[in-house]
Amino acid sequence: MPAFTYQKCSDLSQAMKWLAEDKDTFLLAGGTDLLVGIRGGKFKARQVADIKDIEELKILKEDQKGITIGAGVTLNEIAQFEPVQKNVPILAEGCNSIGTYSVRNRATLVGNICNASPAADTAAPLYCLGAIVKIAGPGGERQVGIEDFFTGPGQSALKAGELVTAILIPKPYPQGKGVYKKASRTRSVDLATVGVAVQRWGQEVRIALGAVAPTPVRASSVEKAINEENVTDAAQAASLVEKDISPISDLRGSREYRYHISKVLVRRGLEETEEVCS
Amino acid sequence: MTEKLTISFTVNGMEEKREVPPHQTLLKFIREELKLTGTKEGCEVGECGACMVLLDNIPVNSCLVLAAELDGKELVTIEGLAKNGELDRVQKAFIDHAAFQCGYCTPGMIISARALLERNPNPTDEDISAALSGNLCRCGAYQEIRQAIKACSK
Ligand SMILES: Cc1cc2nc3c(=O)[nH]c(=O)nc-3n(C[C@H](O)[C@H](O)[C@H](O)COP(=O)(O)OP(=O)(O)OC[C@H]3O[C@@H](n4cnc5c(N)ncnc54)[C@H](O)[C@@H]3O)c2cc1C
Ligand code: FES
Ligand code: FES
Repeated sequence: MPAFTYQKCSDLSQAMKWLAEDKDTFLLAGGTDLLVGIRGGKFKARQVADIKDIEELKILKEDQKGITIGAGVTLNEIAQFEPVQKNVPILAEGCNSIGTYSVRNRATLVGNICNASPAADTAAPLYCLGAIVKIAGPGGERQVGIEDFFTGPGQSALKAGELVTAILIPKPYPQGKGVYKKASRTRSVDLATVGVAVQRWGQEVRIALGAVAPTPVRASSVEKAINEENVTDAAQAASLVEKDISPISDLRGSREYRYHISKVLVRRGLEETEEVCS
Repeated sequence: MTEKLTISFTVNGMEEKREVPPHQTLLKFIREELKLTGTKEGCEVGECGACMVLLDNIPVNSCLVLAAELDGKELVTIEGLAKNGELDRVQKAFIDHAAFQCGYCTPGMIISARALLERNPNPTDEDISAALSGNLCRCGAYQEIRQAIKACSK
């Protein structure tokens, strides 16, 4: 492991101070991307600032605004949180599809989106839920919608010195069924070749995909066909997804395969959530 | 540039204070400093589970944790399961069911199994698969491992 210094942060201002002092400071939450990345040479860290035990980042609560998930909360804690299971099970499904049980004991939701992989498994569910990303930085606090947070592979809307404090899943919650469908090379530990979230909102549907474009994307063409043009045939609607995606070929699958499997998973997602919409 | 950090923690019930390089993984620290070599090194990237330990009672991949993160926490390794020279019941069940061939994955398997049985004394096949999703056995002793865990259920 390449050498770096380690700073344990007990509050947010400390974390921001380290970020401001040295631009080669990396925040450490669960470390499941960061430590692998440092060891593999992807991240050149001079300093690591550990934020996972900061009290205010451990917040996991439901109130009149919705569900707030702090940056220190792990994927297993989220998937087991009753308001998540009850109101937005698609998010629990996304969390549970990541890695292994022991990885999820460390990995955080905020780490998953800050890593900004186009294949991040929580992204598509968060797109469907209209999640809001809460950010703190030298200029104060701000928030951005999840769809504006991802800006490219490994790139997010975070500016120098900023960090994510929490994600809000806003009310009203969707009325209707949601599923997250993941195609990967093995049934156990692998990133998504394609990930598809389908969430019914009453008569309407929201669909998002991961690993098929530089960022996660909404399937706007499919949504429009169903929500506005009264297309009821799932296969016909799903075939429109090719307008919404621009996949590449890599070790997990070819571009052609990704086009194909995207249609298949969107169709299955529509079929599996269908009964609730009528 | 990398001055050592002082950390205080308990390991298998004993209080300890040590100096660690900031970039050392918990796995390296356990094996090379604490000399507890029951915890194994496999992939070093979180995929195999040979390095599984309990950190504040939760199973984690010690290759994905820094030794520095151990400060103030409680660590249990495979060596900490036996009490008064007697093996823990999960360890015994693994022996009774011959739940290994080479044994390299076994410490990690037993750590995950122990944690599972503690939070769920009567796990289904599905619960077992989910809880051990991070433990690979290249010898393929999965069926025997499953039987050993079932034998420990209530
Ligand atoms: C074996 C294994 C399997 C995996 N499988 C999957 C999978 O199937 N699907 C998937 O999507 N991912 C997978 N991952 C990747 C990883 O586990 C997830 O992305 C995880 O959610 C990252 O969270 P973390 O808390 O560990 O992040 P960390 O590694 O701590 O951080 C990730 C990145 O975000 C930055 N960061 C962390 N917190 C903040 C913050 N609050 N503000 C700003 N920046 C921050 C860090 O500096 C770092 O660059 C896997 C990893 C491993 C090791
Ligand atoms: S060595 Fe840690 S998971 Fe393989
Ligand atoms: S017994 Fe050999 S790896 Fe499991």
